[in-house]
Amino acid sequence: MFWQQLINGITLGSTYALIALGYTMVYGIIQLINFAHGEIYMIGAFVGVVAVTVFQLNIFIALFVAMTVCIIIGVSVERIAYKPLRRSTRLAPLISAIGVSIFLQTLMTLIAGPQAVGFPQVINDQLYHIGSVTVSKVQVIILILASALMVGLQLIIKYLRIGKAMRAASEDYDTASLMGINVNRVISFTFALGSALAAAGGVMVGMYFNSIHPLMGVMAGTKAFCAAVLGGIGSIPGAMLGGLFLGVAEVGGVALGYGGYRDAIAFTLLILVLLFKPTGLLGRPIQRKV
Amino acid sequence: MDSLLTNYISPYYIKIFTLVGIYIIIALGLNFISGVTGQLSFGHAAFVSIGAYTAAILTTRLQLPFLPSLLVGGLLAAVVGILLGFPILRLTGDYLGIATLGFGEIVIVVFQNMDITGGTIGLSGIAKNTSLSLVVLVVIFTIWSMYRLENSRFGRALMAIREDEIAANVMGINITAYKIQAFGIGTFFAGIGGGLYAHMIQYLNPTDFGFSRSFEYLTFVVLGGLGSIPGTILGTTVLTLAPEFLRFVAEYRMMIYGALMVIMMIFRPRGLLGGVNLSKKIRALKNKKKTTIPSDAR
Amino acid sequence: MSELLKIDNVTINFGGLTAVDSLNMTLTEGNIRALIGPNGAGKSTIFNLVTGIYTPSKGRIIFRGQIINKLPPHKITGRGIARTFQNIRLFSELSVIDNVKIGYHCRSRGSFIDALLRSPAIKREEAHTHERALTCLALMELADKAEEVAGNLSYGEQRRLEIARALATNPALLCLDEPAAGMNPIEKEKLANIIRKIKEMGITIFLVEHDMKFVMNLAEKVTVLDYGKIIASGTPAEVQRNPAVIEAYLGKEVV
Ligand SMILES: Nc1ncnc2c1ncn2[C@@H]1O[C@H](COP(=O)(O)OP(=O)(O)O)[C@@H](O)[C@H]1O
Ligand SMILES: [Mg+2]
Repeated sequence: MFWQQLINGITLGSTYALIALGYTMVYGIIQLINFAHGEIYMIGAFVGVVAVTVFQLNIFIALFVAMTVCIIIGVSVERIAYKPLRRSTRLAPLISAIGVSIFLQTLMTLIAGPQAVGFPQVINDQLYHIGSVTVSKVQVIILILASALMVGLQLIIKYLRIGKAMRAASEDYDTASLMGINVNRVISFTFALGSALAAAGGVMVGMYFNSIHPLMGVMAGTKAFCAAVLGGIGSIPGAMLGGLFLGVAEVGGVALGYGGYRDAIAFTLLILVLLFKPTGLLGRPIQRKV
Repeated sequence: MDSLLTNYISPYYIKIFTLVGIYIIIALGLNFISGVTGQLSFGHAAFVSIGAYTAAILTTRLQLPFLPSLLVGGLLAAVVGILLGFPILRLTGDYLGIATLGFGEIVIVVFQNMDITGGTIGLSGIAKNTSLSLVVLVVIFTIWSMYRLENSRFGRALMAIREDEIAANVMGINITAYKIQAFGIGTFFAGIGGGLYAHMIQYLNPTDFGFSRSFEYLTFVVLGGLGSIPGTILGTTVLTLAPEFLRFVAEYRMMIYGALMVIMMIFRPRGLLGGVNLSKKIRALKNKKKTTIPSDAR
Repeated sequence: MSELLKIDNVTINFGGLTAVDSLNMTLTEGNIRALIGPNGAGKSTIFNLVTGIYTPSKGRIIFRGQIINKLPPHKITGRGIARTFQNIRLFSELSVIDNVKIGYHCRSRGSFIDALLRSPAIKREEAHTHERALTCLALMELADKAEEVAGNLSYGEQRRLEIARALATNPALLCLDEPAAGMNPIEKEKLANIIRKIKEMGITIFLVEHDMKFVMNLAEKVTVLDYGKIIASGTPAEVQRNPAVIEAYLGKEVV
């Protein structure tokens, strides 16, 4: 029972983590809560459905297509809605992000209708039994894919030039730009990475729950943002940890009979963590230098 | 009074204007917290819901008169705001925002799981006690209060906190105490607005008070001009009426609304009236006429 | 004359760094005491300790005979210590006069209920605050800028506004953190005169400054800090002759 819930929690948590990474990377560099990020995830899921049903593509190719489309959308959103506001007050880009979020939600509702859309079963429902624990093939694929993506992300950030520039900009934006790092490119690249991961998360959630919805990004995005803050916003391992932690806590809470409070679990945890560790589990403490 | 008005204005417009008024009360409360004191709140709708449910439960289940119920709703929202403020107002900036968002969602889930609120089915059978004239009176009272609060020693302390917490602290301001008071006052008006809303819509459902709503209030304030009373009123009015004016575009309405938010921010990042301080302007003019500055003072 | 502030064996660590190390210092009432030292010596940190922004890792800070190092900043201000900041920290979107009125916060009264009711007593209090703020502004030669937005003032004016705001708290001890930084010689001379005037009002002055010459003409006693420790202390003339000072301070950078 415990191990079963743990596996289910980690599966859910790894999708939160994929979305959370986008929030945390963007926040790390431009201190913006990108409220439209949940919508990128939602669009990823829809692109996945279209690729699988209309174009009859293999799920992995569909995943790739969804990631590509979302990269384009994510980067364009930054260019159009955030970039002009980079030097303005803190709240202006936030409101702009909310505008983008409303725009994309209604756009998708217009295209796909307000009801939930079924995600075809693309992975056969084979089950694996390990002791008392049952793991479905979908879960295995999600876990492997999510891990692969996260390892890939780490490699990009560690070894690629642009990845190093990202880290530099995240450490100290002004110095990085003074040192000749092309900040615009870094920011675009950050949005691209985040959007790709969110799209992957969207497709995986579609595969897992077999149902997607134009408003699915609202709650998932918000919870993923909680995961990012919980783990320590700006910290990539923090987002991963926060996502997993949240997934496990949520599944565990439901298993313990708090199903009615499911959506409150993430937020309660978030507030508790912030009260005891105001910058999240892996966040660096705020320096109060005067 | 309202029945008299209906001779001249259609009930539909009365409803819209009432709603605008209620939103102005709520948004001015949020402006007090975020605009004047600089404390980001993404959970304002939760306090609206506390006021709404409290007032509605008092009038429907306990048959209490409307106005006292309204007041109790406002006070309870303030009490919850203050109790929440103690632990979380230590957080700053986006962290505070996200904690208030979390709190707001918790409130909704709690209401969904309570019997007295009607749970997920919602609370119906609320009497239609809210009239446009009452709302106008409350709006006037709110504006008057906000104006007085801002132009006082108390208000200066709040603005100092917004501008620079450390400097404010060193100037002798107990920042925690002031933030909590500001939060209590802002949430009080949210609660009052909620009670008025409940007795206008006559049906409450927890999902009507989620963070999307909180962001809507924040948008009213920021688009109007964060920290500005006329700005908040203008932003609220424009954005509440906008969907009505956009009815001709039918299903594209909300899409255009979202796009407009982006466009308005890009062209007026400080809001429609941002950076325009009417009361200061007026006062500066008055002062120029009245006081001649003592040149040899001390 | 009596002792006003006593820094008693105070240490503060930031992670591995000891910014102030077992420091002992006593300020005499009515004097101007200068604190000099190279960048990063720990001067601003001492101000942060004295005004309650930092709490010492070790030691005590005693003001008018009472231990204050456990008090929050606003209480310390209430006891009579005011300061300015090295990196100007004005309420930059507020008017000049409101900045100063905020300084008077701890000497005035008025809750949010008073704000709503505006009783005659509160109106008098407000009028008094206004007068008081104008007085402080006049002293800093800023009276004609009263209604301007603080952020729009020139750099030198902003530095003076910080002093006006600090004076409004009615302090016994005024800590000035590099008040002359970024000023031209004429402005500096004006500032020196103002500081003398403040001293004549009976306010003790604790002055951190980079410009040696500025300090030498002003302070009764100079303390030199390096790496969080006092390396010399005495009259300006004594300190100037001290080889350790020349080595540590003058040798490092030309001021
Ligand atoms: N909040 C803090 N966290 C970490 N290090 C600090 C903090 N405040 C000051 N320091 C360090 O303490 C040393 C002294 O700084 P400071 O007092 O500002 O020097 P100065 O003499 O130039 O005013 C510096 O090395 C500075 O980096
Ligand atoms: Mg310094």
